[in-house]
Amino acid sequence: MTETHQIARAAERESLAGFRDLIESACKQHPAVDDAIRYDLKLAVDEACTNIIAHGYAGMNPGSIILTLELDERQVVMTITDFGHAFEPSEAPMPDVAAGLEDQPTGGFGLFLIYQTMDEVRYETDEDGNRLTLVKRLRPLETA
Amino acid sequence: MDITAKQIGSTTVVSIVGSVDALTAEQVTRFMNAELGKGNKQIVGDLSQVDFISSAGLRAILVTLKDSRQQGGDLRLAAAQTGVEKVLKMSGFTNILKTYPTVDEAVASFGA
Repeated sequence: MTETHQIARAAERESLAGFRDLIESACKQHPAVDDAIRYDLKLAVDEACTNIIAHGYAGMNPGSIILTLELDERQVVMTITDFGHAFEPSEAPMPDVAAGLEDQPTGGFGLFLIYQTMDEVRYETDEDGNRLTLVKRLRPLETA
Repeated sequence: MDITAKQIGSTTVVSIVGSVDALTAEQVTRFMNAELGKGNKQIVGDLSQVDFISSAGLRAILVTLKDSRQQGGDLRLAAAQTGVEKVLKMSGFTNILKTYPTVDEAVASFGA
């Protein structure tokens, strides 16, 4: 059985807690989503929305962000839709987490954390907006 | 998010309550900067009541860490909850700063 939750909020930093709250409340009753997974989901969505707020609507009238959460026994699929500038996550620079303090960049960690916590990251853009799909699997894939 | 400072000897314990995200991280940076401005360069960040931290929060920690060390002090973190601890580890922060299971241990590490 798949459960779907969706909220739309203005693309502003004040909306971040609302996106995290949706994940918290939707996943609370789900037996396969433990505290660690719930944190990963909130972190990935927070980072993705922060990027949209900072860069996606740069130079434009701030628009909206729509978060859709689909839950079933096997996985959580989160789709984040916005209508700002397109962004290609695979082309963004990644931080060097093994670097010393002086070489540590003060940015770039957001996307890195998304890739660290999610099993699948997909990005599409068309006339219906930009869609970032984040997938977290709840059980390890069975080996063939 | 709420933030308070308490002086224990020559060490300042800064306690943060709530979530440190892109909205609230700036408050952390400003607060820490104000403490450094008062000459309080030995800082313990009490994370026991921080339920969420994002990369914006990591940036606030990094800025304070660099500034405190430039003044001959240090920022040390204490009592991070499991999720926050994981973010610190994933991003390599546990390699560049000192973390302690309790505030008392972090304060004691400064020899206060």
